[in-house]
Amino acid sequence: MGKDVRKGRQMTEKHDAILSVNNVTKAFEGIHALEEVSFDVRSGHIKALIGPNGAGKTTLLNAINGILPPDSGHIHFLDHDVVGHSADKVAGLGLSRTFQLIRMFTINNATVLDNVLLGAHIQLKPNLFESIFRRGKVNKAEKVARDKAMELLRFVGLEKAADATPGSLPFGNQRLVELARSLMTEPKMLLLDEPASGLNDTEVESFTELLRSIRQKGITILLVEHNMKLVMNIADDIVVLDFGKKLAEGTPQAICANPEVIKAYLGAAQSECRLES
Amino acid sequence: MKLLKQFWWILPLVFIAIYPVTLAGGSPYWSGLLIFVGIYVILAVGLDLLMGYTGQISVGHAAYFAIGAYTSGVLTAKYGFSPLGAMVIGMALTGAVAWALGRPVLALKEYYLAMATLAFNEIVVTLIIGLEWLTGGASGLRDIPPFSIFGLVLSNHMHYYYFVWAIVIIVIASSLAVVRSPFGRTLLAIHSDEIAARAFGVDTAKYKTRIFVLASVFASMAGSLFTHYMGFLAPDDFGVLTSINILVMLFLGGIGTIYGPILGAFFMKLLPELTYQIHDYELLLNGLILIVVLVFMPKGLFGIFTGIWEKMFVRADK
Repeated sequence: MGKDVRKGRQMTEKHDAILSVNNVTKAFEGIHALEEVSFDVRSGHIKALIGPNGAGKTTLLNAINGILPPDSGHIHFLDHDVVGHSADKVAGLGLSRTFQLIRMFTINNATVLDNVLLGAHIQLKPNLFESIFRRGKVNKAEKVARDKAMELLRFVGLEKAADATPGSLPFGNQRLVELARSLMTEPKMLLLDEPASGLNDTEVESFTELLRSIRQKGITILLVEHNMKLVMNIADDIVVLDFGKKLAEGTPQAICANPEVIKAYLGAAQSECRLES
Repeated sequence: MKLLKQFWWILPLVFIAIYPVTLAGGSPYWSGLLIFVGIYVILAVGLDLLMGYTGQISVGHAAYFAIGAYTSGVLTAKYGFSPLGAMVIGMALTGAVAWALGRPVLALKEYYLAMATLAFNEIVVTLIIGLEWLTGGASGLRDIPPFSIFGLVLSNHMHYYYFVWAIVIIVIASSLAVVRSPFGRTLLAIHSDEIAARAFGVDTAKYKTRIFVLASVFASMAGSLFTHYMGFLAPDDFGVLTSINILVMLFLGGIGTIYGPILGAFFMKLLPELTYQIHDYELLLNGLILIVVLVFMPKGLFGIFTGIWEKMFVRADK
């Protein structure tokens, strides 16, 4: 594992890409959800993935993190070809994600803190023998994880909600719990699927600040988002999908000025996009 | 009040400890009843780990009960193994079977998983009946010796009572340790949302198999204890009806709580003792009580306890 990571670093230094998507194709019953999509995400950057509904953005995230592998093409994360890896292996490599439709763990009145703590699974690697016979060791590791989870809840501003059930929180706060849970895995990269949908303007602003400080920690972000104000404010570069194909890629300014992108996606939102740039 | 909150668990322990000499008054029948309760507590708590916490349906838990029981029975009655050795071999065998079955069977979901576990229960019972030279078939397996540890024979029902309940308490304590640990949190995550659990690095197949193996090993222990208490085994005791009985204990007591299934096992095993006097209506009355509990108390018997508990302490705290 350690060796892999070191090899990965050398690789990213050489190409400066932490994630590279090459000719990825995915079809559902003959309909192409993704067609020959290729792009790189540079280490330490925030890359936005935009496009109309049904363009294949979530399908691409599912392909990257191993939930629904692509039919063809390669996806390299660090120096691993993750196509064919199961989702739990990809997560173990340091790639975490949030979901467009919030997926909280709710059984047995699981709390916000419980949800965030599940993010520590990769570090804790619980096993039956230690759970029963080495409780001292397990409890010690659990306490460290608990402190870290509280710290992350403070980071997203939800330390007071630690003992609440996620369902009792407003929608926007549930998204923040998802973010804290992903950060708990100590990721090298985050895939965020429409994290700002359902947030009001002030919430979007503080969320933008959160993303900035996450980037400062050296965590790379691939951000699927419709809120153009957020995207223009924070993205280092943008890739645009339309009907499963890559339409354009470039800096926010270039994307805003691209007539094809305006036609396919931005439309009325174009003014907003120019305003910020 | 505070003392009660912290040390409530001493009360049931004291009850278990003094029961054979006080309430049972040294009667083998009444201690025997609680031996059966203990055996079913082990089965129900194990199944709760698999169903209540991990969310994997099993309608064939009696199959592992049977493998443990018959391994112990055959090895001690026919091949002269020591009961303790046979019990350990039974646990290893059941664990191995569960481990081999785990990945393919637990990849199934809901009804399909229910059908597969039900089918496995039927296969085991059919094998027991079919392998007559080994298991005695439908006419049963006889001459099983009482349990003994290192030459100490537990033929006295009171000794056996304490032995069984020591194991029951170990099983309960281990189960509580598991569900309160990060392992238990992982099980709940699998129960809630398997895809999301995988996205957080949980190898769901591995964890489902592990807890399945633990539940099966518990069931195997219960089987060995049952064998040496009865001294005689018949396939009828291990059919799907037994599996369903364990399921009823879970839902009646309150699934996903560990304590609930314990109450469920007590209730299901002791209820017939209270209703047997009205012989002709016994089944009818048992059925009615079950329906009433399941319809009006969706959280089971344990739900009533937690309700009273909260009234006592939450209000007192305020």
